[in-house]
Amino acid sequence: MRNKINIYLIEYAINSLLRQKYKSFFITTVLTLIIFILTSVFFITNSIKYELQSTVDTLPEIVVQKIKAGRHSDIDVSVADDILEIAGVNSTVSRVWGYYYFENLGVNFSIVGIEKYEEQYKNSFENVAKTLDFSTNSMIVGEGVKKSMKKIYYNEYFNFIKPDGKLKKIMISGVFKGDTELESNDMIVMSKENVREIFDIEDSKATDIVVKVSNIDEIQTVASKIKLMFPDSRVITKDDLKISYQNIFDYKSGVFLALFIITLFTFFIIIYDKVSGLSSEEKKEIGILKAIGWRVNDILKEKFYEGFIISIFSYLFGVLLSLAFVYIFKAPLLQNIFTGYSELKTSFELPFVFDIQTLSIVFFLSVPIYIAATIIPSWKSATLEADEVIR
Amino acid sequence: MINKKSRVLFYTFLLLVGAVIAEITYLGSKSGSERINSKVAFVKMVGLPDLAISTEASYVRHRSMSDMFSIFKDDGSLREYFVSTFTYSHSRIINKKSLNEK
Repeated sequence: MRNKINIYLIEYAINSLLRQKYKSFFITTVLTLIIFILTSVFFITNSIKYELQSTVDTLPEIVVQKIKAGRHSDIDVSVADDILEIAGVNSTVSRVWGYYYFENLGVNFSIVGIEKYEEQYKNSFENVAKTLDFSTNSMIVGEGVKKSMKKIYYNEYFNFIKPDGKLKKIMISGVFKGDTELESNDMIVMSKENVREIFDIEDSKATDIVVKVSNIDEIQTVASKIKLMFPDSRVITKDDLKISYQNIFDYKSGVFLALFIITLFTFFIIIYDKVSGLSSEEKKEIGILKAIGWRVNDILKEKFYEGFIISIFSYLFGVLLSLAFVYIFKAPLLQNIFTGYSELKTSFELPFVFDIQTLSIVFFLSVPIYIAATIIPSWKSATLEADEVIR
Repeated sequence: MINKKSRVLFYTFLLLVGAVIAEITYLGSKSGSERINSKVAFVKMVGLPDLAISTEASYVRHRSMSDMFSIFKDDGSLREYFVSTFTYSHSRIINKKSLNEK
């Protein structure tokens, strides 16, 4: 009892695995591959969730949009002042933003207008933009936008086509840092006046109104008050956004779910195959071992070591590979599911999140199940009489 | 007395565990808080939700800010998206005719 781990049994297990070289190799490869795919999928989804959650709290508490004939329509700037009178509302900002479809490349740029020379913007620009020169006719663009503009030789400026067909030349004064690429890739930020000119939005109109509420508990009340004041408005709270995030995530992970089910299914087929019976050679081996005096206990221990060696090796190797695949090589094939067919693809650099939960889920889905699949059929044979098994 | 094969196996596992830990430490050190800060600062400034993972059309880019099928209101020049439009394509002759009439 002194030495619980029997080295000789381990050696026997290794020898047994080496005797069936091809079978062991095949099982290890398949198991590694399944663990690799499973962990990669979990890693990507986790990182995206983390990315969303880390930025969701900075979003405005309430966004008010005007709905006209079932469609989003420009809202009056004066609405912002009316909303400001509601008790509990901290501040309101009327925003001007939209999508500029650039036909030459078939891409949509997201253009956001901000107030010029506002101190808060200057501070945040220092954090997010590489260079900064916020003059009247300038803009700061995302890296994806910069690249697409470069493709058609717009290196220093870009000519926006206004709704009346005239051109509006705007200088590129900065590029957003690569760190924010997942968010800023298609983004263009410029002064509100320029955005109004490009989209032909009157001074009295805005795209939507952002409402800041200091007390989180009051958000719902304020939202319902706004809805009562302006029945034609759509009020989107931060909670709605969070739910919507979940929806986007579910939408995108539908493909992953399919992948996940297929992988699990394959895995269980392998296990079923193992459980449904040992090969005659393996049975014979167990019979001989029993005949030369091995106890059931020893045989099961040896089989446990066999299963343990294969599954642990596959698990560690699979996790190692998927970490490198997702975070170092940026998930070459899997990322296409997320990035779609767009011209403005992000470089897909996901934040690394060490998630012990993911690793344990995959561990418990693979290692114990595989070990059980090795032990159970051996136990069936080992409990029979030696001569019966050999025959 | 540990025999040779067991020792090799032990070292292989040790090597694998070491490699996994090294990889995790390396990746952990790479993603600093500065990155998150600049992301947060950016989202705060722009105030628009959703990641630019799918940037092919606005309804996907800022999905939470628009309706499910708002593709039709955003821009007339947006390309067809729904699977059914690829399966059942409209007759091009009819379209040409209407253009000629114009």
